[in-house]
Amino acid sequence: MTSAKASPAPLGGGPPAGHVPIRGRGLLTLLLLGALTWSLTTVPWGEPLVHPGGLTVLGEMLVAALHPTVSAEFLGIALAASWRTVAYATAGVSLAILLAFPAGVLASGVLVRHPVLRALTSGASRALLGVLRAIHELVWALLFVAAIGLSPFAAVLALALPYAGILGRILAEILEDVPPGPLAALRAAGAREWQVLLYGRLPQAFPNMVSYALYRYECGIRSATIMSFVGLGGLGYQIQISLDDLRFREVWTFVYCLVVLVVLVDLWSGVIRRRLLA
Amino acid sequence: MFELVDATKRYGPLVALAPLSLTITAGERLALMGPSGSGKTTLLHLLAGVIQPDEGRVAIAGRSTETLRPGRDLARLVGVMAQGFDLVPSLAVVHNVLAGRLGEWGIGRSLLSLVFPRELPLAQAALNRVGVGTKLYERTARLSGGEQQRVALARLLVQQPRAILADEPVSSVDPARAEDLLTLLVEVAAEDGRTLIASMHAVPLALRYFSRVIALRHGHLVFDRATTAVTEADLTALYDLRQEEARDVR
Repeated sequence: MTSAKASPAPLGGGPPAGHVPIRGRGLLTLLLLGALTWSLTTVPWGEPLVHPGGLTVLGEMLVAALHPTVSAEFLGIALAASWRTVAYATAGVSLAILLAFPAGVLASGVLVRHPVLRALTSGASRALLGVLRAIHELVWALLFVAAIGLSPFAAVLALALPYAGILGRILAEILEDVPPGPLAALRAAGAREWQVLLYGRLPQAFPNMVSYALYRYECGIRSATIMSFVGLGGLGYQIQISLDDLRFREVWTFVYCLVVLVVLVDLWSGVIRRRLLA
Repeated sequence: MFELVDATKRYGPLVALAPLSLTITAGERLALMGPSGSGKTTLLHLLAGVIQPDEGRVAIAGRSTETLRPGRDLARLVGVMAQGFDLVPSLAVVHNVLAGRLGEWGIGRSLLSLVFPRELPLAQAALNRVGVGTKLYERTARLSGGEQQRVALARLLVQQPRAILADEPVSSVDPARAEDLLTLLVEVAAEDGRTLIASMHAVPLALRYFSRVIALRHGHLVFDRATTAVTEADLTALYDLRQEEARDVR
């Protein structure tokens, strides 16, 4: 009891654990520097960085950037292409959210109390989500074009599947990391786990989830552009056609359209985010 | 209402609660006192049926807490007010209050209520009773700490448990509000003959608002008396024990 009289506890005996000794670190640094120096000798220094005609083309591109094509007829094409890209992204991300919701809830394992059952359902959903996002949307697009041809469905599905994988995984993580206090209070009030999900987890996860889905929508617009390179129409497709004919001024018109789209989505999501946080 | 027989709780080598036996009758107003780490919260959790004793037994209304699974049955017996009120900040006040009904509700009603609140008069009456009747559709996060605490109390009113357990209900409010809140808590409990058990840090408030005091230290019972029988000596003892504890830490 009278520990006030007891001698103070010894303060640390020996060096602190969990440290790489200074000498070891120095040696490692030397080794890495050596490897870097050696790797420089393998670079073919003789060849020019840009091929002879490259600089001229680069110059043409830069000049074209200041003079994009703005004829009414052409702007009509650009607008239609932009609209198509937005449509693909919107449909794709919407479908992704629909798929991600059940898969994400299952993957989080918050509904199943039985440990074995939870490991099974959560593991299976996580594996599924993992497969979906392991394959890039461009690869999905190639697969779907091969399977169902150059149809808008190919674009929407190709976008929806990997995005469902990403959104589902993030939803699972957000649901697991929700502050536990309110959840315990709901259980104490007699709520079952699915009610805890409805009244505790989802409302607390909602602002984060919306914010992240909006960010993904912005990414979706860029992905939809890239995807249309495989022939699915939209901005990317038009950029490719113009680029093949070296009509840089047209390319820039489409690029500016893309920039405007992304900026608009960003502004819109900013407004929604502010409203959610207010 | 509550019965403990040699209830013991350990966390590893630490004895959170040494064998404790006590009976709490319905309608009592009981304050748990003692320095932090004395076992107040452990005792409160045992009484709430949230944790089970390692040895001995805890019974609520004659039923062992081991047979009372968390859920509707337990929710009808005890309601818990946590220290942080633990409301869902992004929900409207009305849903946080009606969450007290979830034990009684099925899936359809629970879902529907998030769009069209069910049993609205019940929620409105509870909020009126605790003095925040105008905040029905406000987002809970916008309410002040004191208002949130009242909403948490309204949720308990809607849940209608036979006993209310509160963990440090006034530790985060200023002294004037603390008195208001304790008055409300005591009144609300008395109206339906509910048992009220609260862990209390402030000695004067504990003595003024409660009928019985249980003082713990290091998981051991120091005294268990009617508030009127608590003497200066008891408090001095508790105070001195605190001093000794401070020395132990050093």
